[in-house]
Parts: sequence; C-alpha cells; structure tokens
Amino acid sequence: MERSKIFIELTELFIDNLDEEGLVLKDTTTAMEIDGWDSLTHIILVVAIEKHFKIRFTSREIHSWKNVGEMINSIEKKVE
Amino acid sequence: MTTLDALIAKIRAKNPSHADKIEPITQALGAGFHKSANAFFEKYHSYLKRNNLSLDFSVDCYLHMIEDMLEERFNFIRTGNYSNTSFDDVEQRVYGNSEIMKYHMHGLVLAQYLWFDQYERIFFFTENIERFIQNRNNYLEIGGGHGLYTLEALNIIPDIKQFDLVDISQSSLDLAKGIIDDPRINFYLKNIFDFTEEEKYDFITMGEVLEHVEQPLELLKKAGDLLREDGSFYLTTPINAPMIDHIYLFNNEEEIRTMIDQAGFKIELEKIVISEKVSAEKAAKNKAPLMYAAFLKKK
Repeated sequence: MERSKIFIELTELFIDNLDEEGLVLKDTTTAMEIDGWDSLTHIILVVAIEKHFKIRFTSREIHSWKNVGEMINSIEKKVE
Repeated sequence: MTTLDALIAKIRAKNPSHADKIEPITQALGAGFHKSANAFFEKYHSYLKRNNLSLDFSVDCYLHMIEDMLEERFNFIRTGNYSNTSFDDVEQRVYGNSEIMKYHMHGLVLAQYLWFDQYERIFFFTENIERFIQNRNNYLEIGGGHGLYTLEALNIIPDIKQFDLVDISQSSLDLAKGIIDDPRINFYLKNIFDFTEEEKYDFITMGEVLEHVEQPLELLKKAGDLLREDGSFYLTTPINAPMIDHIYLFNNEEEIRTMIDQAGFKIELEKIVISEKVSAEKAAKNKAPLMYAAFLKKK
C-alpha cells in the first residue's frame, strides 16, 4: 500500500478515535500537539489501526514511535 | 523533602512522562492528602529500611507494574476480556512467581497514593467509617494487601476490641504486617472460606478482592455470613481495569450493584471515580477504568 494512502486512512482513524474533526496530520506530528491524544486514547487508537490494517504491533514498536511518521513506517512494513 | 516528593522525583528520573502525569494531580490534592500520603509512605519507608530495601527499589517495582498494566490494557482493548480466565492462570503466572509478586505488590503500595482514584477510595473510607460502625467489638479485613485500610481503621477507631486481617498470600500478609507494624492486629494466613461462621464481625472491609476470584458472588455471600445482622461492609472493586492478577471483569457499575443485591446486601453509600482525568462520556467510549466503592448493610 502506498504511503500516501496509509496517511489518508490513518488520518480518518485519528479523527474517528480522538474526536478531532478537521485534524491534519504530518510526519512530525506528536501526541503533545493533539489535545485528544492521551495515554487512554493512544491504546484505543493503536488497536483501531491494527484492526483497520489487519496487522499487529509489538510492544517494542509501539514504545519506539516518536511521531506519526514513525507510526506510518511500522504500518508500511506490515501491510502488503 | 517529603517521602512523597522523593518518590515522585525518583519516578521523574526514570520515567519523566509518567511523572508529568501524576505530579500535577497529586500536587492539586491538598494538605489532607499530603499528610495522609506521607504518614503512610514514611511507615512504608521504615519497613523498606528494616528489610535493607530502598525507595529506588520501590520505584523500580512501581514502574515495572505500570509496564505490565499497559500490556494488559492493550490486550483488554483488543479482546474485550482480561487475560486471565481462572485462578489457576494467576497462580501459575503471578502468585507462584516470587519475583513478579514482589514487584507487583510493592508497586501497588505506591499506587495507593500516587493514583488519585486510589486515594479517593481511601478518603471515602476514612471520611465515613465512623458513621457505619455501631458496635466496636471486632473488625475484619479480607485480603489485606498493603494493610492501608486496617491502618486507617486503627487510627480512626482505636477502641475496637479486635482487629483481624486475613489474606490467602503469605507475601501479601508479610507486607501488610511489616507496614502496619502494630501488635493489636491479628494476622491470619487463610482462605476466607475456611473462616468459621461462628465468628461474626461488626465491620468487614474487602478492598480490591472481588476481581481476583472466579466467583465473586460466592465471596460476597461468604462475607455476608461473617457479618453481624447490624454490621457494615465496605467493598471496593474496579471496572474495566485489567491487571496481571485480575480475573473477573465488571463492565459497569450496574453489574456490581446487581451482584451486591444477589448477595443479600443493600447499598448505603457509594462512590464511583473515573481513574483518568477525563469526562464520563470519554471514559465510557474508551473503556477507562473506574473505581467503585460502597458501604453496605444486610438487607
């Protein structure tokens, strides 16, 4: 799957799960920059991403992400 | 520097983002909280020193427990269930592993005051226990854990003639005994189901025990058998709160109320606290953990 398509689908997942209408994601976006992205919603979001893309992240991957770009790198490696 | 401040500083050094989460909340809780937290943590620190352990050891245990909780929470959101389905699962995974038991129990000791919902539970207990204890012959705590409730009861109502604490775990009992460090308390290493029903209590406390058993209704009924007809029962249990040793999942407060009713109790006073600083709507949507506590009497 192309990175740009992952980006679009991921943005929809962020909007749905964080209740952040009109959210624009960038590779450099971090949790600090989005009000609704806290420790509680992070887990919901990650599990929603897993279900949507039919993938499973390891704990090490989840802990390693510093921004949205790194999250997309993990998704890109797992989806065909 | 107070013991609480020292603990938070040590957490900050090892896990800054977690310190960012808990420090502002504990700071905002006011003088009563700080007095109570430091009194307990000083007793706990004395226990650590007597056992050649340090606050650093304790903080490491706490952070290890936090990591476990995160793993359990991912599993819970993925599956909708707790990872344990039986007492045997937990026995094999946690109770039978002394290293895991050690860090998990010491981690829980710190959580009693570092997590505001845990403190709310203690505060609800200390604020109201005198209203609900008519006769002062005896007091029983089932599943004493860290011993905090019995310690508070002892401070608030020292004229109770007999304080008993029963726990199924030797290491849990040793920890409670070590922290409370008071000869007025009788400690029993026993399964509560082995307590004879000739013994009836004026007041029973059972904090965070129901979620550790496969059949919580039977445990509630047993507590009812041990309670005098005019006695009071303080119960707490969490909702949507996965941990490495939790078995029984309560999905909402209504499930707990129904079970309380089935066990023959009525609710006199209850308190529910969302364990994260979020709205009720957001908590429900994201299955945030809730703390449920209530004073009960027999119907």
